[in-house]
Order: sequence, then C-alpha cells, then structure tokens
Amino acid sequence: MSAREPAVSVHRVSKEYRRYTRREHGTLKSAVLSRRGAPAGEGVAALSEVSFDVDPGETLGVIGANGSGKSTLLKVLAGIVRPTRGTVDVRGRLAALLELGAGFHPEISGRENVEITGLLLGLTRREIADRFEEIVRFAGVEEFLDAPVKTYSSGMAVRLGFAIAAASDPDVFLVDEVLAVGDEAFAHRALEKFSDFERVGKTLVFVSHDLSLVADRCRRALWLDGGRVVADGPAAETVARYRERVATEEGERRLREAGENRRVGSGTATIESVRVKDGEGKAAGRLHCGQPATLEMTVEAREPLSDFVFGFQISTVAGTVVLGVNTSTDGMAPERLSGRASVALSLPSVDLAPGVYMLDAAVHARDGAPYDYRRDVLRFEVTADSAATGIWSPRRGWAFSGDVRWSR
Amino acid sequence: MLFLAPLRRTIRQRALVLALVRRELSARYRGGALGFLWSFLNPLLLLLVYATVFRFVFSPRADVRPYALFLFGGVLVWGFGSSALLDSVETFRANGALLRKTTVAPEVFPASAVGARLAHLLLALPVLAAAIAFAAISGRVRLGLPLLEFPLVLALMVATVFGASLACSALAVHYGDVRDIVANLLTLSFFVTPVLYPVEAVPERWRWLMRCNPWAPFFTGLQDTLFFFRPVPASDWAQMGASAILSLAIGGTVFEKLRDALAEEA
Repeated sequence: MSAREPAVSVHRVSKEYRRYTRREHGTLKSAVLSRRGAPAGEGVAALSEVSFDVDPGETLGVIGANGSGKSTLLKVLAGIVRPTRGTVDVRGRLAALLELGAGFHPEISGRENVEITGLLLGLTRREIADRFEEIVRFAGVEEFLDAPVKTYSSGMAVRLGFAIAAASDPDVFLVDEVLAVGDEAFAHRALEKFSDFERVGKTLVFVSHDLSLVADRCRRALWLDGGRVVADGPAAETVARYRERVATEEGERRLREAGENRRVGSGTATIESVRVKDGEGKAAGRLHCGQPATLEMTVEAREPLSDFVFGFQISTVAGTVVLGVNTSTDGMAPERLSGRASVALSLPSVDLAPGVYMLDAAVHARDGAPYDYRRDVLRFEVTADSAATGIWSPRRGWAFSGDVRWSR
Repeated sequence: MLFLAPLRRTIRQRALVLALVRRELSARYRGGALGFLWSFLNPLLLLLVYATVFRFVFSPRADVRPYALFLFGGVLVWGFGSSALLDSVETFRANGALLRKTTVAPEVFPASAVGARLAHLLLALPVLAAAIAFAAISGRVRLGLPLLEFPLVLALMVATVFGASLACSALAVHYGDVRDIVANLLTLSFFVTPVLYPVEAVPERWRWLMRCNPWAPFFTGLQDTLFFFRPVPASDWAQMGASAILSLAIGGTVFEKLRDALAEEA
C-alpha cells in the first residue's frame, strides 16, 4: 500500500458519445431555422462508472476486446475528451502517445517535426533543444534529419515519434498499442524505455492487445468490457481470466454457429458450452503434447433424467477418430441428472502428435438416441517439442547398441 | 469572462502557434524551386497586371490614381482576411488526427490558420512598400506620417479576423454548410466593402451602410494610411475597436461552448 497520493485517480467516470444523425441536423441553416439547440441523438455509452487509482511508479495494463472502451479511457485520462460524468485527476506532467507520429507533417523535415511534436507534447523550445540529440540518437535518424518525413520509412517515423514522446519526460505516460507497429528491435528498446520509467517512479498506463506483454510487463491489469471494469488486479491473474473468457465465448459462439446438421438430438438435455482446458486450467484452445488436459461441458436437463450418457470424441481434421469415449463405455451406470450439470473428462497426458483436432460432445440415452449431439463443437491445437507425425505421440525413449553416436 | 479563455490559451501556446505557422509556410514552399520567392513574386505579378490594365484598358476615377496602387493594397488585405476565414473553416478537418490523438489546445489551429495568412501578407508588404515608394518618387502620391498608423489598423483587423475564425472553425466541425455560408458571405461583402473603391464613391445617403459593415473601417483605414496618407478619423478607430471586441467576444464564446466536443466530432 502506498502512502503517496495516486498519480492517476479515476472516479466513477462515464462517457457517452452522441451518435446523432448528421443528415437531420447537420447544417447550420437547419439548426438556426428549426431553433433547436445542439443536435440531439441517442447516446452510446463508451465507459460506465469506471473507477480506479494508479500509484506513482505503477505500470497498469488495460486489456479488453475492440470497442470495450480502452481507447476512450486513455482519451479521457489524457483530457482529449471530457467525461460525461465523473472525475479524472492526473498529478504531474502527462504525455499521451495515442498514435506514433501523430502530428508529423510529411512535407517538412524531421528536424522541424521534432520541434512541433515536442511543442504539442507540452515541451518548451528550450527543452526540445536540450533533448534533441537524445531524440535523434534513440530514433537513429541522424542522416535524415533535414529530409522531409515523407521520405522516411515507416519504421523511422515510428521510432522518431516514440523518441520524442519518451523525451518529453512525463510523470504519467499513456500509451495506446504502439509497440505493435515497430520491428522487434524497436519494441525491445521501447520496452527498455518503459522499464527505465518505472524504475524512476513514473506512471505508465498502456493499452495492448498483446496479452503476454501485459502479463509480463505490468504489475496490474484492468480488464474492460463494454465500458465497464470487469477485473482490476494482478496482471497475470487478470490476463488469465480474460483469456479464459475469450476461449469460453469462442466455444459458445461455435456452438451457436454449429449448423443443424452438426447438431442432432431431441433437446431433452442440451449442451450449453464445451471447453478444452490445459494443465493449468486455462481454456486456451492450445494443448501441449505430454501435458494434462481436461475436456469439459455444461449440460442442462429440461427434465430429470435417469437414462443418460455423456461422451466426447476427438478426431483429426481429416475425420479420423482418435478417441471415442463416454460414461457408458467407461462403465458408469446413470441414476439421476437434473438441472444444470458440468462434466469434466481429465486426461493425465495428451499423447497426440502436433496438429489441429476436432472435438464432438454428446449427451444421449443408453440406446444411443441423442438428446444433444454436437459435432465439431470446437477445435484445439496440440503443440509438441517433437515434430513427430501421425496421431499418436506417446512418451518414448530410444536405445542403441553398436557404433551409433549423436552429436547431442 | 468566458470569451477570454480561448484567447488566453492561444497566448499561452504562442510557441506552438508560431511553429505551426512556420510549418505551414515551409511545407507550402518546399519543393518549389523558387521557394519563399513566391511570396514576393505572386503579389508582384498581381501588381504588374493591375498597373497594365488600369493604365491601358480601364480609366479609373480621378481621385484614386494611381488606381493600381490603390487596388493592390486593398486586394492584399482582403486576401488575408478572406483566406484566413476560409482556412479556419477547414482547419479542424485538416488537423483532425492531431486533435483526436494529442492533448493540444484546439485554439492553436484557427490561430495558426490566421497566423499563416498574416505571414503571407507580411511577406507581401515589402512589395507594397516598394510600390508606394516608387509612386512617391515619381510624384504620383505625396507621402505623409499617417502611414505610421497602418500597423494599428492591421492589428485591429487581425483581432477581428481571429475572433471570426474561432467561431467559423468550431461551427464548421458541427455543421456541414459553414464553408458555403462563409464563402458566400465573403463574396457578397467583397462588393459592399470599400476594397475596389474609396468610401467617397458611395453616395452620401448610403454611407451609413458602411457603418453597419464591420469590415469597412479596416479598408477605409488602409486607404487613409497607405494611399491618401491622411489620419484615420476617430469614428473609424471606434468602429474598428468595436469590430475587434465584438468579434473576439462572439467568436470566443461560440468556441468555448463548442470546444469540448471538437475532439469527438472533428
């Protein structure tokens, strides 16, 4: 717990965008003639009741699907758009890097662009002059300083934009998905810069779709969905929860989209969702050969049943059945199923060769009459350390005798 | 005072405004072989055309000779005002990315649109000065001290244009027809403003109309100081001052009211 004042505090912030129809009210003439005030229109809530604090020196990652309000949140923090309700307090100098090279004018030289961009970020001319060398060195554009920016490669422009923002030495740095645009070397240097910031107690808020990056780099992550905070906590945990949700939603979407021909059954009991979890319990859609896995489904029985069988079938994409198993083949005799139930089949070791596999899930009567049979309900990928081909990839060892040698 | 806020912010951001003006000028002249020379060549060619046409084709009124010189000053200053307003209408569209992606104070965009046009005018002034000097040396006009009043006339006009530009730029973001309205109003006011003619050419009983035209005193002021070399009458100073204050007050208020939505709508 920090005794210091938070660097950023956001209190019950909501933002609604007006989505008004320009056709109706889009002209000054009609606005004056109809004597209406500002064009009205239905509001679109981009953020609802968002509250959180960020301590000085903290790195906060913001994750969520497209349209979840991440960029709006950064714009509100930056003061570019004003919240409809709620308050935002930022202590110290703020720099917002919402787009690398925003403000670069293609026709003028790199040198002139550095000056303008610096001023836009709130630097004084003196500060820009003092930090000019550092900016140019970081961006590696020494020879091109006097050439118009339109002659720069996109990598150069990106590096220059980042270098200027980093040199503005903000106390609070807002960054929107900028590492996605550069090459590996740039991303590395940018991350180093972020670490430097963190070390000297600067606050960093960054939006990214790169979940591993957020999990690695941020102590804390905020997960937004539909403009609301779903989770706010340790980054690794929040990212894991987010990944799981995405995988679940993906599974449910597949179920919905599965055509009638892929789904047969009376509907007496229905399969609500199907998931494949890896050894760590994450529904990641990806398993590793030799590691444990769990197949799960949730089932809803319309009425209490005494005759039921749960089953899974794994096949290759080409259609070869790898495993067909159900509670009946495994010797279980049904007694009662009512309401909602979840079914898990755990496999201590996934002995499959690398590739993509399809999963069928079923709940049916003992005589085989399906209540709900879902073919190709989801697909998962198996990765392996070995590039072995085929289907079965068990634990194994080689032994040799005679004059056989291996370099490693 | 609500309307002062945009003005204050512009002044605080003057370094950025200047840099944006420089960017505008250097982007415009880059690539052309003659570069900045164009800002002299353009008005010079215009002056030569006027001098030729009004010497050999049309014969102007006796009280405005040399008419080429009279017209040249008026057209330069009118060009500043009208292009500054037309540029202001476009400025948020042109700078939309900056507005949406940086924390810049939006006032700097209309300010730099006006600033860039002012810079063009200032670059053309040496040509006007040379033309005046030439007319004086050849005995066609008699110079007088009132020409020193011109900078104040121009300053008041810049304030008026900036006020109008604040309103135009912000309104244009919200309404699609502002450009057409501004363009048509400008065309219309060109003829009811003493640019092509001296205010004396207006019949006495219609002179009051000139009092209603907020642009008129700047052009009579221009003619007084740089053509007739007579002091600007107090009533004209008063009208110029009123234009400037009203324009800044209305423009500043409109801008301040629409300001928050600019980054969302631009």
